[in-house]
Amino acid sequence: MIHSMDVSELKITAELANLDLTGEDLASLGNEVEKILDYFSSMMEADTAGLAAGKAGSAANRLRPDVRTPGDADALLENAPELEGRFIVIPNVL
Amino acid sequence: MESPFLRWRNFLSDSAARKKYEDYVKAADAKVGAFLEFDADRGLGLVSDANPGADLAGVPFAVKDIIAVKGFHLTCGSKILENLVSPYTATAVEKLIARGGVMVGKTNLDEFGMGSSTDNSALGKTNNPWDQGRVAGGSSGGSAAAVAAGMAAFALGSDTGGSVRQPAAFCGVYGLKPTYGAVSRYGLVAYASSLDVIGVCARSVEMTRAVFDIIRGQDEKDQSSQAGGSGPAAKNRVIGVLGGNLGLDPAVDRAYRKTMDFYKAQGFELREINLAMAEYYVPVYYTIATAEASANLARYTGVRYGYRPDYAENPEELTRKARSEGFGSEVKLRILLGTYVLRSGFQDQYYQRAHKLREAIRADFDKAFGGAGLILMPVFPTQAFLRGQSGLDQFQQKLADRFTTAANLAGLPAMSFPAAVEDGLPVGMQFMAPAFGEALLFDAIKLYEAQFPCPVPPSYKPEWIEGS
Repeated sequence: MIHSMDVSELKITAELANLDLTGEDLASLGNEVEKILDYFSSMMEADTAGLAAGKAGSAANRLRPDVRTPGDADALLENAPELEGRFIVIPNVL
Repeated sequence: MESPFLRWRNFLSDSAARKKYEDYVKAADAKVGAFLEFDADRGLGLVSDANPGADLAGVPFAVKDIIAVKGFHLTCGSKILENLVSPYTATAVEKLIARGGVMVGKTNLDEFGMGSSTDNSALGKTNNPWDQGRVAGGSSGGSAAAVAAGMAAFALGSDTGGSVRQPAAFCGVYGLKPTYGAVSRYGLVAYASSLDVIGVCARSVEMTRAVFDIIRGQDEKDQSSQAGGSGPAAKNRVIGVLGGNLGLDPAVDRAYRKTMDFYKAQGFELREINLAMAEYYVPVYYTIATAEASANLARYTGVRYGYRPDYAENPEELTRKARSEGFGSEVKLRILLGTYVLRSGFQDQYYQRAHKLREAIRADFDKAFGGAGLILMPVFPTQAFLRGQSGLDQFQQKLADRFTTAANLAGLPAMSFPAAVEDGLPVGMQFMAPAFGEALLFDAIKLYEAQFPCPVPPSYKPEWIEGS
């Protein structure tokens, strides 16, 4: 079945989503994910022949002049969890 | 015509009135829990030109805590953004402040807008002003509850699949979900970008209209925003209604009939419409919304801002821990679903198929609006539900989005209004209109309001709200 998700699929999905799932999460979220995917499978019964995927909104691209409009970088840095001068500290990158 | 803000004008400029108001909010919010942050002084500090003649001079309003206001927190109801302070202000809020409006506080919500109860907030609990044991609805539950209890003149919320209309219905106020693109999303934290729109909660149709007229319009900071113009003219007096068994609770069913009878008596023709795609709204909505959410929420890495774990060996672990410890379970669930439906090998079955069906849903409404000027339908199959076992579980809440998600999928405007009070709780109905037809919604609902004004919750009747 394409719509039911076993634990190994759930683990792969979690890894792609950058989430660590505990054993408890795997059980509770796994159940919920499976229930919803089962429900999504009702879409398979719809006849989509001749339908094209659309896109949101109908406005064409609007362009602005290519000039710098500097924002307030200091205000942004104030929200960084750890700073050293104007650098954001992260754990070792090897 | 009298300003809809009259009762609230210069409210915060007069010190006696202000004290009375702030004392009231403190006492009322101890029971309701609508606000995550309340600070009228900081709000007054954002008004640069305090012109006492401005439309909104001294009028206190509230903003859902997923919309940026400079100097206030921007938590999205999530532990991952609990300490984030916004360095800028959303366009919609800027426009209100420019008219003298005072942004007094940020309201509670389901984490990142994901939920129908506001119970998915990691940072606070919001009770329904009509019954403290019941939810205020969601995800803009704090905004709707604040307005219902008279703690703000109006409030902004966001509506991705019903998140303004449903809490407005649960709390007995008006809730507008504008046309997609009618209001700039600049400063609205993204959940599902092709569905998200900033909306309005208020206690009167004219106030809703006035706020919408201020916040709408094209914005260079939001590519998807559109001017909209004066919108379509009323084409006829035909209202499309839903037939068949809608699975409504008896109180909601009675309220639907009551509104139909009212409009019939006003000389409208009610015509049953066939929305062939209705059974697909919810699965299509959740497929698209979770797919977009999984991409939008990938930005929370714990590096530049937001929650950071105590310890991590390397940047990858830092990000995984920040997300796993920072997001609540409903958010994780939707990220997982969204990631799954976008995975190679599954994308055709889910995401691409949902997009095709979304086009069919749009076409369905084009057809319906070929005959009817407006569509009238319920907002939610139940009234405000109880917490715990006797309420609705998360899956049942998703299924119950079947009346609200259509407007988001089709990008159309919709507005919920208090249709009745049944068993001591409000019931909301909604009108949908063709794109940019907000004025049609206001005009139609105003007729109803003239006969059935906004109800007042018995325990929250400050003197400044009408009907108290």
